[in-house]
Amino acid sequence: MATSPRGVVDHSALKVNQTGIVATVLVAFIGSAFFRPALVLIPLLSVMLLLGTFVPQLALFKQIYFKVLKPRGIVKPRLIQDRPEPHNFAQGMGGVVLAIASLFLVPLPVAGLALSLLVAVLAFVNLAFGYCLGCQIYYQLGRAGLIKATR
Amino acid sequence: MSTQLWALAAAGVVVLAAAGLELWRSRRARALSLGLGATTTAVDAEPYILYFTGEGCTVCRTHQEPALAKLEGVRIEKVDAIAERELADRFHVYTLPTTVVMSGDGKSVQVNYGYAPANKLERQLSEARGGELRTAVSA
Repeated sequence: MATSPRGVVDHSALKVNQTGIVATVLVAFIGSAFFRPALVLIPLLSVMLLLGTFVPQLALFKQIYFKVLKPRGIVKPRLIQDRPEPHNFAQGMGGVVLAIASLFLVPLPVAGLALSLLVAVLAFVNLAFGYCLGCQIYYQLGRAGLIKATR
Repeated sequence: MSTQLWALAAAGVVVLAAAGLELWRSRRARALSLGLGATTTAVDAEPYILYFTGEGCTVCRTHQEPALAKLEGVRIEKVDAIAERELADRFHVYTLPTTVVMSGDGKSVQVNYGYAPANKLERQLSEARGGELRTAVSA
């Protein structure tokens, strides 16, 4: 899980997760040019993100951080007063877009790959600049009264 | 390989379109928000900053608040954009953080949608002070 005490989020876990998303999509994208079955990474990533949204123990990249990278001191923790909900929402949104991309991969691979690339771009923007589109959508939904947890 | 190139082009077009839309949206919101008053805040002699934030805003905590902390002697009015929706709507706050530089007479002179670094805010505050001086001289 990316959360430890209540109201504190380990941002290193989020960064590792975003790095994992970018890397997986890039491997699928470049790999599929030479070995088409590499595209299977896209639906796998989608399933992993969606599972991780609802069951944090199944979030592979975060678990790699908590079980391997953090204990060995490879990545240092960065605890910040924050709420996990917007980040989980953003992860779930990424999973949904990748699921839609997966549906397109066989009949219309250009659309499937383009959607996957957009998820990777957004994950990279979050990783590099701290801008989280999913979190902004979460704010807008809260503002519209569609999400109670915003406050 | 051509599939990948087409996909890259399609994603690039979407990213460019989104960036253009964001630019248009922020310019429009800024144009609509300038010159407005914030009646919920007391009128101060010095320019001050209305800082719109929310509990779920990470950039607010990791970037914007440290930047605001660098501004010495400047009054920061922290506003929860969800709780004070009316005020947020008046300044067309569509993203968090949003910072509004208010002149001493309580009118908005600059609006920043998204993270605004300390040096940018310093410059905007200086311009707000300069604007007030010019107004005083011409009066």
